[in-house]
This record gives sequence, structure tokens and C-alpha cells, in this order.
Amino acid sequence: MQWRARPWRYFARIGFLSLPLVFVSAFLVVPLVLTVIISFWERVGMKFRPAFSLASYLTVIEGARLKVLERSLIVAVEATALALLIAYPIAYFLARKASAYAARIVLVLFTIPFLINYIIRNVAWTSLLGRNGTINTVLMTMGLTDGPVDWLLYSDFAVLIGLISSYMPFMVFPLVLSIGAIDRQYLEASALLGASPFTTFCRILLPLSLPGIFAAIIFGFVGAFGESAVPIIMGGVGYELVGNTITSSMDVLNYPLAAALSSIVVMIMLVLMLSWYLIFDMRAFLGKILEWRS
Amino acid sequence: MRSLAKINRRDALRLAVSGLMATAALRVPRSLAAGTINFADIGVGDPGGDWSKFIAASGYDVNLVSMGNAPSAVLNVLVAGGGQGTYDIINIVGGMQKPLVENDLVVPIDTSRIPNWGKNTYLDEFLAKGKPGFQFIGFNDKIYGVPTVLQGDSFAYLPEKTGPLDSYAALFDPKWKGYVALEDNYTTAAQKTGLYLKNAGLAKINNPDDMTKEEFKTVIDFLIEQKKAGQFRVIWNSFEQAVNLITSKEVYVIDCWEPMVFVAKSKGIDAVYADPKEGYLLWAMAAYLVNNPNRSEEQTAADYALLDFMMGGWYGAKITGLRGYMTNPQAPEYAKANPSEFSAEDAAKVEQITANVRRKFEKGGTWQNRWPTEVEFYESDWARFKAA
Repeated sequence: MQWRARPWRYFARIGFLSLPLVFVSAFLVVPLVLTVIISFWERVGMKFRPAFSLASYLTVIEGARLKVLERSLIVAVEATALALLIAYPIAYFLARKASAYAARIVLVLFTIPFLINYIIRNVAWTSLLGRNGTINTVLMTMGLTDGPVDWLLYSDFAVLIGLISSYMPFMVFPLVLSIGAIDRQYLEASALLGASPFTTFCRILLPLSLPGIFAAIIFGFVGAFGESAVPIIMGGVGYELVGNTITSSMDVLNYPLAAALSSIVVMIMLVLMLSWYLIFDMRAFLGKILEWRS
Repeated sequence: MRSLAKINRRDALRLAVSGLMATAALRVPRSLAAGTINFADIGVGDPGGDWSKFIAASGYDVNLVSMGNAPSAVLNVLVAGGGQGTYDIINIVGGMQKPLVENDLVVPIDTSRIPNWGKNTYLDEFLAKGKPGFQFIGFNDKIYGVPTVLQGDSFAYLPEKTGPLDSYAALFDPKWKGYVALEDNYTTAAQKTGLYLKNAGLAKINNPDDMTKEEFKTVIDFLIEQKKAGQFRVIWNSFEQAVNLITSKEVYVIDCWEPMVFVAKSKGIDAVYADPKEGYLLWAMAAYLVNNPNRSEEQTAADYALLDFMMGGWYGAKITGLRGYMTNPQAPEYAKANPSEFSAEDAAKVEQITANVRRKFEKGGTWQNRWPTEVEFYESDWARFKAA
């Protein structure tokens, strides 16, 4: 038995390996389980007590919050799809066309948004997109419009701009890793066998980069779905996503309702994660990352 | 002069030790203090970090901690965050007694331990038992909050774009369609709308301070109608956002707080805070004594001393000057009588702000209700407005 030969080393290794498990359990699994449990609790006056009540879920289904949830899903899907359309060509260029040096510089530049406070970042957009903002001023000065274009800010368009600019950089990284890890010989073989670049893209590049695409989708969707600052700053008249409605229900101490909304969000995220896990071999994807880095 | 490059390691060490000693020396008064009062505040009650007068008088230091004003933020800090054992006093917009008292988070105030209580004529004028303002400091006939700030809110406008405005009707006037902003708050925006609808005879609302479900639904239906007609440009959520809306002239009429107009004016914008014929949305901040059964009698005495200090002239004048709100009747007199502490200009500012807010209270309107009877319905129906 291994532990008898070197017990100290064996248990140290077990202890070390269990650290991430303990961390994830304590700071992720336990709070999430508690959230789900509280979502079934009953409200009594201003307090709540343990029970198995579906009242909070019924409130979500029957009230305006279902509309908010629906809108959050649609907006998150739209923002993720658009961001993917922008991120994929960028990632392809960085992984396949740019020099390693240039790619590194561009990737570092993509980390800059993470270093800027998200509120400042979104407020900066309002200065650009507002009625008296830079873009409208330029449009009017050039005579392209008679008056300011109102829908640039406080609109669906503005929310999409805010979400894409916030989460698209997150999506570039897994895509670069995924595309960069594809063996160049497959693409060359495809070309030698007479496939057009489009056919090569559809039948070789795209399928092989799917794990990266899915990872990018998760990165983008999770962020966009839970976003609360962008709709507040750029969304206009009461533009609310699910993150905002959770906060709002907590304002009146309706914790079971907030927990029910959070549980629904978590469940949607879990379905996404689970499908990623079931469809793609995550270890193979991580292996590709290591290969690409070496 | 020696250049920085010539400083050697020994010099650097010497400098570091001197710095540490200097820091330690500066901290001596704090360590000598009899204790510390942990004071949680929403950003209004900080007299520019200067508690020296209170420290000198009481021997107690004040540790000011920032906290949110939303009911959930307050309760989260006190319950989930262990704030009951940490904080002595919380200074927030009043009217939160129901959730605070029913959760045993605050204790009644023994007003006999606050000498300045009797000198505050605003209590009788605006906050006495039986008056609507009482709900900002009292609950079930007991006093739970010490009034620290009083104010009346309306809306602001840009006269160059709209001309003079004197009614909440401006918020819903099609002339300003798409150039109006509301606050994302059902206890302010919806209550002002209720006040307008009642005064204009457009809806049967008995009491905008505490609307029934049906009355509140009428208000929300009206707001949804306006929203769908494109009346509103945005619903703002933060002080900076509202100021930005005014200064960038993104909107011409905005439901907001008066200090936002002060900031806009300081940036050269000709903005006016309206004097609506329907009156104001009146409110007060209250300092609550946190319920901590383990608090010593000495600490409680120090907490009461701080509450008394906050009802005094110096503190009141300081807060009025810094934040633009009325505080207590002693403030203008104190500022005028102490030119070494307040310049003539500052004293005039305190007097002018106080007179302006007093006028608002005399005019009346509706008292903001932070925790209306149907608060949950308010919240869910406001969500309906936002989702519409």
C-alpha cells in the first residue's frame, strides 16, 4: 500500500489535492445549495421560516419578473452571438495569421477592459453615445443627421454595445487557444485535397474549434445573463435584467424570491456547463491549451 | 541638496523608522481615547472627517463606516454582517423603523439623555407625534430615530430649454417627450406621481404617503402609459448619473435631489430646482441606536453623547454646508456666531439653505414613505413599470 510506504507524503498529497475541493465546496457549492433551500422557504411578515413552499417560484412565473427573465435570456443570447461573430475572426487572425509577438501584444490589450472599473467603462460609453456625445456631434457636424440619434443611448442597442464590449474580450481567449491548438496539417491536407477555404473552414476549422466556441459562449453568456450595471447605466427607462430584479426583491427583504430567481439563473448556467461537459472532453481541451502554450 | 539617488540603504531604513514613529505618534490620541463609537452612515453624516470637537468633549473616537441606504443593505449589514455587535449608531434616511424594530435591530431612544433634543424646534414643528413626519423617527408611539437632516425634494429643469416650471405636470408634459428622467425608486418617483395625479384630479388617491394597492396600481398604469408614449428618456440610479444627465443636457426635466442641482450649477449649468405648486416630497434622516445587549453602560453613554453632538450647532452647520440639507435650528446661529470656524460666506450659505428647506416644509406636500403598508406590492408593481 502506498500510504504505508510513505504515509506522510501520501497524506500530504491527499490534503493538497483536497484543498480545491474544500474551497469549491465551502465557497460555491454550500452557498448555492443554501440559495436553493431558501428559495422554498416561507415568508412570515418580514421574516422567513424553513418550509417547502413554491410561492416564490409562482411569483416569478406570474409576475413581471418572468418578462425580465425572458428579456435577460434573449439579450444574453443576442449579445453572446454578436460577440462571438466579432471574437471568432479576431481569434482566428491572432492564432493563425499574426506573429506570436503581435498576438501576445493584442491579447494583452484585450485584458485592459478587465483593469478598468466596469462602471467607469460603461459611463464612458454614455459620453460617447449621448445626445450631445461625441458620435452624435460628429454625425451632426458632418451633416449626416439633422438632430441627435436618440437610439444610440438608453436603448436595446446601447445595452448590446455595453454587453459586447464587456464580455467579448473574455471570449477571445478560449477561441485563440482552441484555434491555435488545431494541427496545421489538417488544414493543409484539406487544401491539398481541393477543398475551398470556405469548405475547409466549415468542415475542419469550425468543428475542431467547437470546444473553444462553447467555452467562449459560456464566458459571454454567463456574464451577459447576470449583468446588472450595463442595463442600469445604458438601458434607459427601467431596462432591467435578472440581476437587477434580484437586487430589487432583496430591497423589500424578499429573500426567498431573490433565492428563487438566483436558483433559476444558476440552473440555466448549470445546464450550459453540463452540456459542455457532456458534449466535449474538457480534459482534451485543457490539454490543447497546455500544448499550445508549450 | 542630496539627490534621491544618493540615499543609501541605511538612510532608507532611518527614514522608514522615522516614518513609522511619526505615524505611531499621530495615532497616540486615538489609542488614548476611552473607546470608539462605530458609526455607520450613508455618506451624508460625515463632517468632512473632522470629529475633533466630539473627541475632545467625550474622549471617544468615531469610526465612520459607509453603508448603503437601501433597506436590504441596512438589514444585511445589521443581521447577516454581524453589524449588531459591531455598530453603535446607524445614520440613514428615516422611516425604516418597522423592519428595524420588528427585527429587534434598534432600540428606543431615551430623549432625556440628549440635551439638544429639547432645543430642536423642528421636532415639534415637523416630526411630532400625530404629524406625518413622525414616521421618520417614531414607531408605535416610541422614538427610535434622532433627526439629523431634513429635506424636501421636487424636480430640476433647464430653464433655457423649458422656461420656468412649477408643477410635477412637467414630468409628464408631451412638450418634453423623451427629455424627462425619473429616479429608479418607487418611494420617490411613484409617490411624486401620486401627488401630481391627486392634485390634478386625474386619480382618486387618498394619501400619496401610503397608497393602497389599487391607488398604487393607478399610478403605475399611468407611468406605463407615459413610458410607452416615449415620455421618459431614462430612469437614473446614482447621484453621478443624475448629475451627468443634467450637465450633458441629455434631459431637460428630471425628478432628482437638490444637491444634484448644486453640483450641476458648480459646473456652470443653469439648472433650477423647481418649487412645485403641489408641494415637496419631504423626508428626514434618522440616527438609530443599534440594539446590542452586550454594550456597556459607558459605551451607551458615549453613543448618546454622539447623538447629542449630532443635534448640535457645529455638526449641523457643518453638514448643511457640506451636503446642502437642513439639519437643526441651532446650525445657522452657530455658524453666524463662530466666525473663526465658519466664514461669513459659509454662515450665509447655511442660513440660506436652512431658510430654503424650512420654506419647503412650510409649503408641505407629501412625506416620503420608506416602508409603506403595501411595500411589497410597490416593489413588484414598480418592476411591472420597468419591464413594460
